[in-house]
Amino acid sequence: MADPTAAKAAKKNTYELTYILNAVLNDDQLQDLVARVDKFIEEHGGEVLDKNVWGSQRLAYPIEKKRNGYYVNMTFLSEGDLIVRLERALDINDNVLRYLTLRMDRRMIEHRAKRKAAAARAAAEAEASAAESAA
Amino acid sequence: MTGIDYIDYKDLDLVKRFINEQGKILPRRVTGLTAKYQRQLTRAAKRARHLALIPFVADNVK
Repeated sequence: MADPTAAKAAKKNTYELTYILNAVLNDDQLQDLVARVDKFIEEHGGEVLDKNVWGSQRLAYPIEKKRNGYYVNMTFLSEGDLIVRLERALDINDNVLRYLTLRMDRRMIEHRAKRKAAAARAAAEAEASAAESAA
Repeated sequence: MTGIDYIDYKDLDLVKRFINEQGKILPRRVTGLTAKYQRQLTRAAKRARHLALIPFVADNVK
């Protein structure tokens, strides 16, 4: 019989996290916060897979009297125990307006890969047409 | 709904197609979606609302 604690430790899930930071902060502070989230995940045995900074966007409704938010979307690999601690850290930080963590099932992972490929294609096409118009 | 296997809350153009001006999720009798996709749509819309990507209530000036 394998050690049950060892088996549990090996079980890692893919998670998607989107969080909204206070857009009133300056760029340095925002970068610092984003880096801290990454570091938190890495330090607790997670692995950041990819990260998409959507940047400052207008919120659909005010949150904590703020009209704009700085959006960051990422996926990472980790054990379930990390999520509780991560969410607690996000709750405590007053500069995090909102967050959403989702465990990704296979369908969601496939969907994300498709989206990424489509975005890459669109970027390549935009570049090609820009090069064409420049020529 | 061709070519769509999962309704993602990040696909805002898609989700917004099934939301009325008030911000309400359209019922199945209007969307004509299968139970499976209506369920996914509802989940996606609610997630998008939580992240302030779409409003809970649209502020129609009256």
